[in-house]
Amino acid sequence: MNPNISQERLLWTSGCFALAMLPHIGGMPPWVLIFGGITAAVRFGLAAGGRDAPPVLLRTLIAVAAIALLFVQFHTFNGITAGTALLGLVAGLKLLETRTRRDVCVMVLLIYFLSLDALLVGSSFWLLAYLVGVCWLTTATLLRLTVAEPGPQWRSSLRYAGRILLHAIPLAALLWLFFPRLTEPLWRLGENDQGASSGIGDTLNPGDLSDLALSDEIAFRVHFFGAIPTAEQRYWRGPVLDQFDGRVWRRDDRETPAEPDLRTEGPEYRYRISLEAYPHAWIFALDWPTAWDAPEAKLTPDGMLIGPRSMTGGLEMIASSRPRRHDAEPLPEAASRRETALPPAANPRTAALARTLHREHPGERDFVTSVLEMVHREDFFYTLAPPPLESKDPIDEFLFDTKRGFCGHYASAFAVIMRAAGIPARIVTGYHGGTYNRYSDYWILRQSDAHAWVEIWIDGQGWQRIDPTSAIDVRRIDRSLREEQAAISLANVNLQAALPWFAALRMRADALRQLWHERIVRYNQDSQQSLLSALHIPNPDAEKLVFVLGATLAVALGWLTWQVRRELQPQPRDPLRRAYAQLCAKLARLGLPRAAHEGAEAYANRVADRRPELGVAVSALCRGYNELRYGRQASREEVAAFARRVRSFRPRDSRESSESRSPASAPRSDRG
Amino acid sequence: MIDLRQAGARRLRAWAARRFGVDVLPYSIDRRRIYILPTGFGLAFAALIVAMLVAALNYNNNLALAFAFMMTSIALVAMHHCHRNLLGLVVDAETEVDGFVGASAAVTFTLANASGLDRYDVEIRCAADAMTTASVAATSRSAAIVRVPLTQRGVRRLAQFELATRYPFGWFRAWTYVQAAVTLHAAPQPLGELHRSGASRPSGETLRGEKPGEEDWAGLRPYAPGMPLKHMAWKVLARGEEPAVRTYSNPAGEPEWLDWYALPGLLVEARLSQLCRWVLDADRAARTYGLRLPEASLGPAAGPAHRLGCLRALAAHSQSVPQGETASP
Repeated sequence: MNPNISQERLLWTSGCFALAMLPHIGGMPPWVLIFGGITAAVRFGLAAGGRDAPPVLLRTLIAVAAIALLFVQFHTFNGITAGTALLGLVAGLKLLETRTRRDVCVMVLLIYFLSLDALLVGSSFWLLAYLVGVCWLTTATLLRLTVAEPGPQWRSSLRYAGRILLHAIPLAALLWLFFPRLTEPLWRLGENDQGASSGIGDTLNPGDLSDLALSDEIAFRVHFFGAIPTAEQRYWRGPVLDQFDGRVWRRDDRETPAEPDLRTEGPEYRYRISLEAYPHAWIFALDWPTAWDAPEAKLTPDGMLIGPRSMTGGLEMIASSRPRRHDAEPLPEAASRRETALPPAANPRTAALARTLHREHPGERDFVTSVLEMVHREDFFYTLAPPPLESKDPIDEFLFDTKRGFCGHYASAFAVIMRAAGIPARIVTGYHGGTYNRYSDYWILRQSDAHAWVEIWIDGQGWQRIDPTSAIDVRRIDRSLREEQAAISLANVNLQAALPWFAALRMRADALRQLWHERIVRYNQDSQQSLLSALHIPNPDAEKLVFVLGATLAVALGWLTWQVRRELQPQPRDPLRRAYAQLCAKLARLGLPRAAHEGAEAYANRVADRRPELGVAVSALCRGYNELRYGRQASREEVAAFARRVRSFRPRDSRESSESRSPASAPRSDRG
Repeated sequence: MIDLRQAGARRLRAWAARRFGVDVLPYSIDRRRIYILPTGFGLAFAALIVAMLVAALNYNNNLALAFAFMMTSIALVAMHHCHRNLLGLVVDAETEVDGFVGASAAVTFTLANASGLDRYDVEIRCAADAMTTASVAATSRSAAIVRVPLTQRGVRRLAQFELATRYPFGWFRAWTYVQAAVTLHAAPQPLGELHRSGASRPSGETLRGEKPGEEDWAGLRPYAPGMPLKHMAWKVLARGEEPAVRTYSNPAGEPEWLDWYALPGLLVEARLSQLCRWVLDADRAARTYGLRLPEASLGPAAGPAHRLGCLRALAAHSQSVPQGETASP
């Protein structure tokens, strides 16, 4: 009943399994992958030796041990990572005991589910395309395994499975478009913690961010509706850090002191921002956010947007920002104390410098300018590979000894100088700048655009942004920075500089990727409603969606039935006969079908009697057919030429068009 | 579960028989008479799809949802393909089939596929224990033989047979009932050691020679296909005349009667088996013989048609009307 499967089929099944496991490399514990490889190898070894699967007792022992090990590792089978690992393990175990056709069927179901699991983690177009390919191969394998011998050959199995997939795609597209989406997940089975890159953290060590500067990864994309802010205004605000321990800046969400309400100035910029996944709750927004449509997101007193949970699934929101802030009222006492606090004994030389400069320039504005001028004038270098700061006073070491640093160093030192002079100051981390994608009108912010700057409180004006890094003399920006970036991501800088078209290509690719994310990955209830509106359906809601789904699906199934039955019609394999059948069909549409007994010549005579204006052309074609069919051996080219002539023969019902046609087709027929 | 399914199939079969009457062979499978249901594997696949949809909806993952819908659509397309695998197939069958008890009757079915698609894995089922699988390439025909085991002597009428398929993936099973009767004639097993001549000759003459029946020249009979070649009158043929066979008769020179009444003291089945043995022997020897049964006598004659008639008479003995039977599995 369940005959043992051949080694060849075992090979195909294992191949599909391996292909389905491929996207899980990295996500799954390595030993699960190795386990799968070993089971496949053992199974093949046994099969090659003509032996059966290992005995039940041994298999059970292995299964229990492996699953127990997995549980020890994860403490749960819930959630994507653990669940996928369990599934991979079970599939490996199943492969070990795969003997009968039934086992292979189970294997195929496991492979399908493993493919789906990969999509819960990744979301690129290529992954989906790859998995559809895996699904195609798996389906072809299933076909081969379920048909009694001798079934179709592999080639025709693949063709058949491909055809089924092609027929399935329109149906799947309709289901996908109109199947009502849920606003909230059914239940939360463990957060998706995959695919979130680290990006900016909630602390700042002077040396931080330099790793990010080499990262080509995309942090977010922004599309501006209308005016685009200038480069000096494109600061994307992230975590605000206001606690300093002498070396590291931190933030403490529990004790943000009350501050004056945000009063902003300047033109309002509206934009749509699409954030890639990252494991923190804050939301990057252009300085200073005034409105946003992310539900549950709140603005903290220090001007940070914070969502309810980690942005592990990414986020898309429409927000508005204004470039400047204006606060006439003074900073409350508690906040002022907090924003000027410094660890007492740390960085004495910096504190002394600050006091000296402040005596010389008592005005806040003057003081700030003098510090920035110092940075510009003196031998401060901007480099990604600064010497490590090892003393217990790292800011002193940086300002007076090494003088080489990254944006973190400059921001940190500047803030310390401000605080030492009694001016409230804090660090803001985020992104600055961005690359414009002219193919799709949006800006790309990469991790290499990560930045740190300083905000100081000036009475009567409020918090003002100062970017000390920008004060460095351009000549002292380390050339090796570019080279280092180039060394790490060759394609990124070097090639772009050398080959402008490569940069353009990259931008185009990113534009497509963004489109994919916007239209496909983030397709939701709102998108469905706007789709219904586009179809001129008033007041779109879930009920109407279901109705549209039912209606379109009915049409699609009708099409499928017709299509599937149409394939039953025998297609003449012979191109000559096919062309002749085409000719007869064309004439039949004019009400002159060929009778079954009629030869080509008799048919042509009858057509000429009934429709004299077609007579010449039809006679020529029928004569050509007779010559090719019954004359000397016809070459392939002659048959193809005949087929072309039949295709270009377009008889019309109306008289004037056929008059213009028949002389045209008559000389053409002479060529054959 | 299985009982329920069997009961359902039985009712459907009876309903189909009432609804569609009798089909004329060759029968082209009509789309309204193809039924389709998921198999166990199909239900497992459906459960998988549900799990996929739940996972995708739970994580609000559009790509996973697309993949799950892809699988759903593949199942839908496969359903159409399963149905199509039977659609328009023209089936013909041999309606009268002979065999001996203890062996099986080979019912030959012809599947003609005029369409442009290959048909795979078409299951033909005559009875619970009699089925075969056949594939037919595009625009061709193929024959399939279903061996129905014969366990009981008699005439058995299978009122309908079933064509089914699980192609392409075994997720669905499409099937149809063809309302055409196949009659199986189960002749008794040819058994028995009794000597015919001893029983049939009341005069009690002794037998001459070792090979009865080949002793006495009884003249020439025109050749008919199926007659043993060893009795061929080659010289006649060589003279260019009509082909003929030599026939021999028993010493009395009269046709041999295989007589039911000549076998007293035997049980019915044993008698029939003995008669069957004699019929086969006589036929093999190309003799002229007659069969006398309580309800009828046949012959005397010779040749395959006569032999078939005798075997069918033996099969039908003391059976009033061949009972109708459905192909219940």
